[in-house]
Amino acid sequence: MTATTAILALAGLLVASVIVGLVLRRRQGRIRRARTAERVDPALLGATALGERATLVQFSTEMCARCPGVRRMLSSAAADRDGVLYLDVDLTHRPDLAKTFHVLQTPTTLLLDQGGAVHARIGGIPGRDLLDLELDRLTGENAHA
Amino acid sequence: MPDQPTPRGIDPRGPRFAASVTTVLLAVAVVLSLTGVSTAQAGAGFGWFAYQPLANATFVPGTDFAFVAGQGWAISYVTPLQRALDPGFLLLLVVAALFLWSVLSPRTAPWGALFRRFIQPRLAPPSELEDPRPPRFAQGVGLFVVTIGLVLHLVGVPWALPIAAAAAFVAAFLNAVFGLCLGCQLYLLLQRAGLIGRQRPAAT
Repeated sequence: MTATTAILALAGLLVASVIVGLVLRRRQGRIRRARTAERVDPALLGATALGERATLVQFSTEMCARCPGVRRMLSSAAADRDGVLYLDVDLTHRPDLAKTFHVLQTPTTLLLDQGGAVHARIGGIPGRDLLDLELDRLTGENAHA
Repeated sequence: MPDQPTPRGIDPRGPRFAASVTTVLLAVAVVLSLTGVSTAQAGAGFGWFAYQPLANATFVPGTDFAFVAGQGWAISYVTPLQRALDPGFLLLLVVAALFLWSVLSPRTAPWGALFRRFIQPRLAPPSELEDPRPPRFAQGVGLFVVTIGLVLHLVGVPWALPIAAAAAFVAAFLNAVFGLCLGCQLYLLLQRAGLIGRQRPAAT
C-alpha cells in the first residue's frame, strides 16, 4: 500500500472513531422501562429489605472508573427522599448476579418500586434530572396508593 | 461492598495523558503497518520482486503454490525475522512493551511518570482522585489486542498488524478524546465469556 493510501485510511479510521464516540456518548444514561413485572429478591443483592417507597440498585465493578461518581449521585438522591434505599452491588467476582440481572455494562442502575418490581434500567451515568423525575414518579405513586 | 480495600487514588488526568500519547503512537503504527509487508501483495502481474524490500530476499520454500496461482501475500514469502523487522511491527512491539509495563508496574510506567514530573506540577490539583484499577485493566486489554496482532504477523497472517493497531487505536482514541471507560463497557462482557472475573467464595 502506498503512503498516501495509508494516510487516507488513517483519516477514515479517525472519522469512524469520532462517530463511534459520539454515538456512545448519546447512548449514555439511556433509560429503559421494564416490560415485565419481575420482582427483585433483596437477599440476592445482599440486603435484608427493600426501600419503603423505592430502591435504587447500582451494579458496579472494580474496573469501572465511572461508578464512584454515580455512587455519590445516587446515594445523595436516595438520602434526599424518605423511604428510598440505595444499594451498590459489586459484580467483579459475581458472574452469576451479572447473568441473573442481564448486566452488560457498568454502572447499570435499576429503579425498583416498594414491591421490588423493576420500573426502569439506566445504562451508564444517569442524568440527575431524569433520575429525580423517575424517583418522583415512583415515590409519588406510592403516596397516592 | 468491595471485598478488598480500594487502592490509593491517582490523578485521573495521568491515564488520559498516557492514552493521548498511546493514540499518537498507534496512529503512526497503523500507517507503518499499512505500508509494510503485512499488506503487500505478491501478484503475478508484478512478480513478488515488485515489493522492493523483498527484491533481494530469499524465496521461502513450501509457499510456491500461491505464487504459481498468481495470487499471494508478500508476507508468505519472507522469513519470520524479516516480518519482525517490519517498521510497523517494531513500533507495535514497543507499544506492547509499554502496555505491559503499565500493567505490571503502573507507578513507574513512562507516560504517567512524565505526567507527574513535568505536567502535573503546572496544573491545579485534581478535583478528585480515581481508582487506578480501571486504567490498568484498559492497558491490559490493549496489550492483549496488540499481542494477538504481533503473533499473527510473525506466523505470516497478512493484515493482522494494521487491524490490531487500528483496534487498539480506536480504544485509545475514545479514551483520550471522549473519556470512554473501557472497563465499564468491556469487563462484564469478558466475564460473561468466561475469560475473567470468576466467582469468589462469598465473604462472611
